[in-house]
Amino acid sequence: MNGLEETMIGGIEGGTAILLPALGELIGERAGVINLGTEGCMLVGALSAFAAASVTGSVVIGILAGLAGGAVCGLLHAWLTVIRRADQLASGLVIWFLALGVTSVYGANYISATAPTLAIINVPGLSKIPWVGPILFEHDALVYTGYLLVAVIWFVFYRTQLGLVLRATGERPEVVAAAGRRPAVIQIAAVTIGAALSGLGGAQLSIGYVGNWFNDMTSGYGFVAVAVVLFATWKPVRVLGGAYLFGMALAATSVLQAHGVSVNQYLLDAAPYLITLIALVTVGRRGSASAPEALSRALARTG
Amino acid sequence: MTTMTPAPVKAPTPSRLGSLASRSRKRLEGTGWQRLALVTGAYLASLIVFGAIAAQQGANPFTVLHAMLSSSIFGGGSLDQTLLHAIPITLAALAVAIPARAGLVNVGGEGQLIVGAIAATGIGVDIGASVPGPVSWIAMIAGGALAGAVWAGLAGLLRIRLGVNEAVTTLLLNFVANDILLYLTYQPWKDPNGLGQPESKPLAIQAQLPLIFGSQLNIGIIITVVLVLVVWWAVKHTGWGFAIKVTGGNQEAARRSGLKVRSLMLSAMLAGGALAGIGGALNLAGVETQLRPDITLTFGYVAFLASFLARHEPLKTALAALLFSAIALSGNGLQLSTGLDGTITDILLGLIVLAPLVMTKREGAT
Repeated sequence: MNGLEETMIGGIEGGTAILLPALGELIGERAGVINLGTEGCMLVGALSAFAAASVTGSVVIGILAGLAGGAVCGLLHAWLTVIRRADQLASGLVIWFLALGVTSVYGANYISATAPTLAIINVPGLSKIPWVGPILFEHDALVYTGYLLVAVIWFVFYRTQLGLVLRATGERPEVVAAAGRRPAVIQIAAVTIGAALSGLGGAQLSIGYVGNWFNDMTSGYGFVAVAVVLFATWKPVRVLGGAYLFGMALAATSVLQAHGVSVNQYLLDAAPYLITLIALVTVGRRGSASAPEALSRALARTG
Repeated sequence: MTTMTPAPVKAPTPSRLGSLASRSRKRLEGTGWQRLALVTGAYLASLIVFGAIAAQQGANPFTVLHAMLSSSIFGGGSLDQTLLHAIPITLAALAVAIPARAGLVNVGGEGQLIVGAIAATGIGVDIGASVPGPVSWIAMIAGGALAGAVWAGLAGLLRIRLGVNEAVTTLLLNFVANDILLYLTYQPWKDPNGLGQPESKPLAIQAQLPLIFGSQLNIGIIITVVLVLVVWWAVKHTGWGFAIKVTGGNQEAARRSGLKVRSLMLSAMLAGGALAGIGGALNLAGVETQLRPDITLTFGYVAFLASFLARHEPLKTALAALLFSAIALSGNGLQLSTGLDGTITDILLGLIVLAPLVMTKREGAT
């Protein structure tokens, strides 16, 4: 196996822990709500999944607990931002701090615990394809969930009425209300489902890619996920590309070092953020124009 | 039948502009006393929830409270430590408050603190040993201010020139700043005599900010108090402060009354970034004395919440920053005397900001 393949495999494995929360964040932002607490929801999901898997010995229960933990976190954000109409950025940061504190307190018992982790499943047939097979089809179940979710979300967004209503809620909630739908309900559902996916991303770390629990283990993945959504100008397929690209940038460091290539690790770490910045600048007004309008309005009225 | 009466046309007077500038936030109803009671109740509730979590972890809530108070306020020298930590938090919080008054969201306090500390280290390590103390102090503070202003100004420029959302760019720049910090401390600036730790060379003693007689405080605290007062005066009592407030309240109205909206927005961003940069420089030159990873400890994000809690009023923002500094420090005492993880205080910090989020409801469409 050469370095390129290792980087791509690692990028997809680790990139999934960016992809899942980024897809969740995409759903929320398309409905007009940004969640800076994504990092916190990932932490809650990571701990819930690890604790549940550790106690019950079942990874399936672990995955469900990760989803549930993220969803609880999302419900809090939805309640604050949609019902109480609190500032979205402040609410997100509050959730991040609460999650940091809560997971450090309740996670203390699990730092040295063990839990079953997700098995690598080789997709029959597909994993035999030369070169592509090992890169794309020898992963754990959550990686495949990521592939499927991109397709499902794309379909729902662009081919169903539900998707139309969701996107309209992010642009003009008053129009949605005039059409007899309830934008608040749609936003609450979108934020909660989105955060559940963040929790799933946390689970991908704690019972998948990393395989144990430690404080602040998401180390910025949630913020990267928020950046990926911007990088992708709110489009599902681009979110997939962005998440794997970021994942590969993170994986490349250790691969290059293992091969004895001297590389500036920190420059590589900064690359995803710089690429996103450059993307935002080059897309400029056009990129900002593709932002859901209600989201832009919500971001502009902090205070 | 209705008779049309033309609406009286009034020239925009400062008071009218001022009312345009006021935000459409529905304040808590009721009299001042009722409001005070509600707010006090909300904060007490935060404390009770926090105490309950501590108790559930097997610690006596009163022991917890005692440990927290003694490690942040009453213990020997602990108040000094709280004040010292409040320096970067306060200045980074003002870096949120000033742009917020101009209608801009600066989530980049963390990055601006970091670049301020980097600039101060570069200057201080380079010239600190060869020039008199005051020269290097001024140079480090000026360098920090410049670096912070550039970092925030970048996001400001992208906003006014290309319309790129500044909340997003300031957030991204935090991570870039942190990667630069890691790069410098692990590679070119790493102290060869530092026992393998990723730290820069320490500042020469004479380049470190001098202590105030009889305390652990350094002159950074005086500089901070002066800056807080200057900011308060500038935003409350100058034409510039009024103009940015109008810009933040209603850009269209501001533009029509002849204000240079873009320059005002950029100036608010530059001023904020400079303050946070000074915060990073003062923290480095007075407390840390050498660059290392984790030098900011999420102070920049704490600062965002402090400014938010104080509704971007400069004096209240400084008080909120002081409170958050005390909470952050109280974690150390908790860890030592009760065995609870110090990060449990993040819960208290979150709850305290949560309280007003829960209690106020804003008008307007979602």
